[in-house]
Amino acid sequence: MAFSRRNFLKYAAMSAGGTLIADAPFFSARARAEAEGGNVRYVPTSCEMCFWKCGAIAKVEKDKDGKDVVVKLEGNPLHPQSMGRLCARGQAGIGQLYDPDRLKRPMIRTGKRGDGKYKEVSWDEALTYTADKLKEIIAKNGPESVSMMSHGSPGDYFTNLVKALGSGNIAFASFAQCKGIRDAAWELTFGHKPGSSCERVDLKNSRVIVLLGTHLGENMHNSQTQEFAEAVGNGAKIICVDPRYSTAASKASLWLPIKPGTDTALLLTWINIIISEELHDKAYVEQYTIGFEQLKEAVKQYTPEWCAKETDLPEADIVEAARDLGRYAPHVVIHPGRHAAWYGNDAQRSRAMAILNAILGAWGREGGMWLPANGKFASFNDGYPKYPDPAKPPVIKGDYPFAGGEGLTQVLRDTIITGKPYPIKALFVCGTDMLKALPAPDLTRKAIDNLDLMIAVDIMPSETAMMADVILPECTYLERHDGLFKVEARQAGVGIRQPAIEPLHETKPAWWIASELCKKMGLTEYAVKDSWEARMKRQAAAWGVKYEDVADKGYVTIPGSEKPYITADNQPEFKTTSGKIELFSADLEKHSFDPVPKYEPTEGPEQGMYRLLYGRSPVHTFSRTINDQWLWEIQPENEVWLNKKEAEALGLKDRQLVKLENQDKVTVGPVRVKVTERIRRDCVYMVHGFGHNSPRLKRAHQRGVDDQQLITRYKVDPITGGTGMRVNFVKIIKEA
Amino acid sequence: MELNIVGANAITYPAMHVWDWRVAIYLFLGGLSGGLMTMSAINYLRPKKNFDSSCSWQITLLAPILLSIGLFFLNLDLERKLNAFWFYLAFKPVSPMSWGAWIVLFIYPLMILYALAALPKEVKAGIKNRSLRNASDAMQPHLLKLAKANVIAGILLAIYTGILLSTLVARPLWNSAILPVLFLTSGMSAGAAVMIIVAKTKETKLFFTKVDIWLIVAELIVLLLFFYGHYVGDAAHRQAIMPFFSSSHEFFPYFLSIVVLGVCLPLAIVLKFLEVTGEHTEELTTSGLLLMNASAVLVLIGGAVIRFAVVYAGQLSGYGGYM
Amino acid sequence: MPRYVMVIDQSRCVGCMACVVACKRENDIALDHYRTRVVEMVKGEFPRLRTEMRSELCNHCASPPCVNICPTGASHKEEDGTVQINRHKCVGCKACITACPYDVRYINEEHGYADKCSFCQHRLKEGKEPACVATCIGRSRMFGDFDDPNSLVSKVLRENSWRVLKPEVGTKPNVYYINQFPRKS
Ligand SMILES: Nc1nc2c(c(=O)[nH]1)N[C@H]1C(S)=C(S)[C@@H](COP(=O)(O)OP(=O)(O)OC[C@H]3O[C@@H](n4cnc5c(=O)[nH]c(N)nc54)[C@H](O)[C@@H]3O)O[C@H]1N2
Ligand SMILES: Nc1nc2c(c(=O)[nH]1)N[C@H]1C(S)=C(S)[C@@H](COP(=O)(O)OP(=O)(O)OC[C@H]3O[C@@H](n4cnc5c(=O)[nH]c(N)nc54)[C@H](O)[C@@H]3O)O[C@H]1N2
Ligand code: SF4
Ligand code: SF4
Ligand code: SF4
Ligand code: SF4
Ligand code: SF4
Ligand SMILES: [Mo]
Repeated sequence: MAFSRRNFLKYAAMSAGGTLIADAPFFSARARAEAEGGNVRYVPTSCEMCFWKCGAIAKVEKDKDGKDVVVKLEGNPLHPQSMGRLCARGQAGIGQLYDPDRLKRPMIRTGKRGDGKYKEVSWDEALTYTADKLKEIIAKNGPESVSMMSHGSPGDYFTNLVKALGSGNIAFASFAQCKGIRDAAWELTFGHKPGSSCERVDLKNSRVIVLLGTHLGENMHNSQTQEFAEAVGNGAKIICVDPRYSTAASKASLWLPIKPGTDTALLLTWINIIISEELHDKAYVEQYTIGFEQLKEAVKQYTPEWCAKETDLPEADIVEAARDLGRYAPHVVIHPGRHAAWYGNDAQRSRAMAILNAILGAWGREGGMWLPANGKFASFNDGYPKYPDPAKPPVIKGDYPFAGGEGLTQVLRDTIITGKPYPIKALFVCGTDMLKALPAPDLTRKAIDNLDLMIAVDIMPSETAMMADVILPECTYLERHDGLFKVEARQAGVGIRQPAIEPLHETKPAWWIASELCKKMGLTEYAVKDSWEARMKRQAAAWGVKYEDVADKGYVTIPGSEKPYITADNQPEFKTTSGKIELFSADLEKHSFDPVPKYEPTEGPEQGMYRLLYGRSPVHTFSRTINDQWLWEIQPENEVWLNKKEAEALGLKDRQLVKLENQDKVTVGPVRVKVTERIRRDCVYMVHGFGHNSPRLKRAHQRGVDDQQLITRYKVDPITGGTGMRVNFVKIIKEA
Repeated sequence: MELNIVGANAITYPAMHVWDWRVAIYLFLGGLSGGLMTMSAINYLRPKKNFDSSCSWQITLLAPILLSIGLFFLNLDLERKLNAFWFYLAFKPVSPMSWGAWIVLFIYPLMILYALAALPKEVKAGIKNRSLRNASDAMQPHLLKLAKANVIAGILLAIYTGILLSTLVARPLWNSAILPVLFLTSGMSAGAAVMIIVAKTKETKLFFTKVDIWLIVAELIVLLLFFYGHYVGDAAHRQAIMPFFSSSHEFFPYFLSIVVLGVCLPLAIVLKFLEVTGEHTEELTTSGLLLMNASAVLVLIGGAVIRFAVVYAGQLSGYGGYM
Repeated sequence: MPRYVMVIDQSRCVGCMACVVACKRENDIALDHYRTRVVEMVKGEFPRLRTEMRSELCNHCASPPCVNICPTGASHKEEDGTVQINRHKCVGCKACITACPYDVRYINEEHGYADKCSFCQHRLKEGKEPACVATCIGRSRMFGDFDDPNSLVSKVLRENSWRVLKPEVGTKPNVYYINQFPRKS
């Protein structure tokens, strides 16, 4: 397994995070504040500008009036998700904290839904109003008519509330619109998700990295992007499969501008080449997998020649990539990606990626994927009683046998609209901008119309929040305690979120809001017993870590939890039905799905239309950061990427304003067009999250456009229920 | 190439616009007042038949006034006007900005003493203030020495404005050893032009007309050399003069400035030439007077155009950019 | 006295802008003003494209035209090799802005003084790296003492070919660029 690493300098390893002189690293918030003297405090906490939850350290000073002010955020060098560094968004957390447009007080709607008229009320009034309404709804329709949609940190607290009420109708956007599809596919293959806190890709040690639609660099998941740069610096070969020349593609030695929607063809062809040229890891396949022969048979049909036509890629490149993977296996990795909701057949694509990793022997190998950290966390629920069984079975998995426990948001939405099999009349929307996150926003609006009570727990007056009947404003992550966080990187550890300063406005932590509602609903046994911090201390004790340590350092590791690679005494465990890596999935077969992935073509655009693609900007997280002054300044709006030749044909100049019209005649715009060589001719691209409709977001209001408005159609993955969203086509209309 | 910059400052990107008309006006008036100092002094110093003091003494007053107006505009451009005293708490030998500040400090007294010395009796008589009269009386004997000093100081003042810009290596258009000479000739010729306008006697007018012909010829040659020097210089220098010779409408003002100079200056020469070679009666005819003044105005326009064009175009020039 | 330099490995820059925001926060810089920027240059035609990423800031030139032109001594060179601005001496004449070939200076509009990257001198004094370096996601920016042969930066400069920006202007920059990309394995 040993390979001779080229003598590349490993500069990064020499550069200690954030410190010039090695004798002054961050090791404790208290020690650092003492060393610097004066009236500065350092508060280790966890970033919530996206879901990576990097360890951050807030520097707090007193202003002229003696008030605490957060002046700077830095990465916590002890924390594996940040490794001492914060991305642009993390750095800009202060902008969220001091955003003048924040939700500042509880509000109850006074006007019509959506017209933005509210009265500010006290917390007690807001909570009493909510509780009374909930009671009414439950009395009439049963507890299962209360539901929640969430993404991110407030979700857990309201899950507790909704479950305690006796409803299981809870759905997170992170499943059907994001990584759920992929997770399910990997569980079918390896019996594990490809990671929980982060994808378990050993990028920094990889020799070949395949990024298929995963645009690291723009997808700014911190530690992973750091490792990606490390890999580039180490001379790893990057193979980037993307219809668009992404930042990652610009670092690649091979960029494959694939025809959108044909990735599975490429993956299966690679599998075929690798197997037929016997480049796979034979011993590994023998020992750990089942179904190799069936796989071999099934992929025979996918020849490089056919693939070249299907994917619109040069045959030689396809073959070269496969051979490179074979040559450097197992120190290679096909990144599992994260947002997998593309074309409606996405579980099979994810399966193909998993299988490719498997036959190359990447799982559990250096430079491939590390094994799940061996951290044992005792379960802890602070002595809450068991939840009552839901009165009626939850609807949130629809008819999708492999939908995960996080639920399917669109199924919840459909149920609200149809009232079948039973009415759902109350919806908590906690930390998700539903109108932007879910495809077909018209359906989301329709669902909202059908509700008797919509409660938003948010920090910003997003369009979604401003549809709610009650708005319960959370304080930002810099003003609150949250859970102690399990962190599962190479090693397991515990992170923390604790307030850098007191809440600025009449805002409360989500745990408090949910807990108070429990009390008002007569569910005191599910409410927080004393304070959240006291609870965190009990949790730390249960997990076997010292709370003071976590609070002072921001992160502590579970010693001995790091067992990244397969060795004689560190054997992987696959939690599949067969206990092996399932190249052939009997579980899928049982549900009449293809047990080995098959390629299905995706419908292409009509003449004159382009496929609408979307992705991330490194300086924004979806729609949540657009109004942050430090990020808005850098990127106040998005633009539509259009191939230069197409632009010439349409007579469009760079930065010219255009409108976009989709196949269902929905129009958005004006938006600027970015005329570029960096994208194929058959598609256009834009960054998701812009085009805010809420006038209360003063900076973000109507800057750029919202791709979701154009995503009127979606195709559901039959295996997982994921919503493929790249199945919409647009026409470009010149602005007069 | 597709270029994407995050974090550019509006003051330098896409083009630098640090200095504007205020600085251009200062450079013009500074050069002009230098020219006036030198020209009025020459009027005293030249061998002459019947001396016409009418213009010289007025000019000696005009020069500091114009310089003050120029400095006023320069001060308008300072972002921290109240801090201007720092100019005089430091002397930075390598900074032409610093010289400029100090030169002005020495030139003002010189100008004032000179003006005092030059006050004609009849004007002096009208002055109420005794000490002023006394000062004037005290200076009168030194008039010629002061005039000689003013010739030099005027040249210094006029050339310094060009030196200031020419030391800015970062701006290839300015970074030319010829620029100070260009500003000098243009400052001097502007000075001569004002002499022509202000002078009363035909003889003086004709004298400065002749002087101006030579100055304009020199200026035109220097202007050509200026462009030639850039043209044969490195890529950045060649690129720097591009706006003047571009047909793109973005650069139209620069192109226009070349046209204006190309018309103004030669036309002025022609007019002047006609004047000095023409038949003259004892007194100048009104039309002759008009022609003379018109040609002087052309020269002044040329001088201003040069300053404006150079100030603005210089900021478009730079090394490399993004490639 | 150390001689501070920055080394930027362009191949490792992922264009994440963390440096830009970190600098703005660390140094409390007003909206629309920047001490550092990230330049992305893409050349070629689909599908044969190549990219140069280049983050830029004050070069703390050894021969700094901005210092030479400054009439008051506000802009000055310090012993540690950095070029700094003494704000209260600055008259806001902007000569230094025109003098800098790298266009890295700007005017602080609230107070009128010229401003630019300080190499985060206040952090250096506390033993910390500059904010942009400390947070650089690609570890593209490296910082240290050139005179210390064991420092990361002197190692990197010894072992790589480097360049500086616009050497023809003769400013002798102290920000060095290396570009190890693309490399085939
Ligand atoms: N068209 C299109 N749709 C997509 C995607 C896409 O790329 N294109 N991406 C999909 C993916 S991968 C995902 S994960 C989802 C993401 O979808 P969301 O998670 O809904 O996206 P965000 O914009 O992050 O919205 C989060 C909301 O949480 C609020 N918020 C932020 N911080 C806090 C906090 O601390 N407390 C509370 N209570 N609220 C907070 C914000 O103000 C915002 O309203 O979108 C999916 N939908
Ligand atoms: N800065 C920043 N980083 C983020 C987020 C953020 O909001 N901001 N969100 C985080 C979250 S929740 C998620 S889920 C991840 C998502 O991050 P990824 O999983 O990396 O993202 P996707 O949005 O699927 O990928 C977008 C890329 O896929 C390409 N693409 C489009 N169609 C196709 C296709 O048919 N085939 C192939 N091969 N490529 C295609 C697009 O051109 C684009 O480059 O990002 C995470 N990171
Ligand atoms: S990746 Fe960036 S935004 Fe996300 S948690 Fe980390 S620092 Fe915060
Ligand atoms: S880069 Fe510009 S501002 Fe910085 S030292 Fe050099 S010349 Fe001066
Ligand atoms: S603006 Fe300030 S720092 Fe710059 S040259 Fe003028 S006085 Fe010096
Ligand atoms: S060194 Fe400091 S001041 Fe200079 S660019 Fe980096 S963060 Fe900004
Ligand atoms: S932080 Fe580093 S990697 Fe990110 S843009 Fe700046 S220089 Fe590049
Ligand atoms: Mo996601």
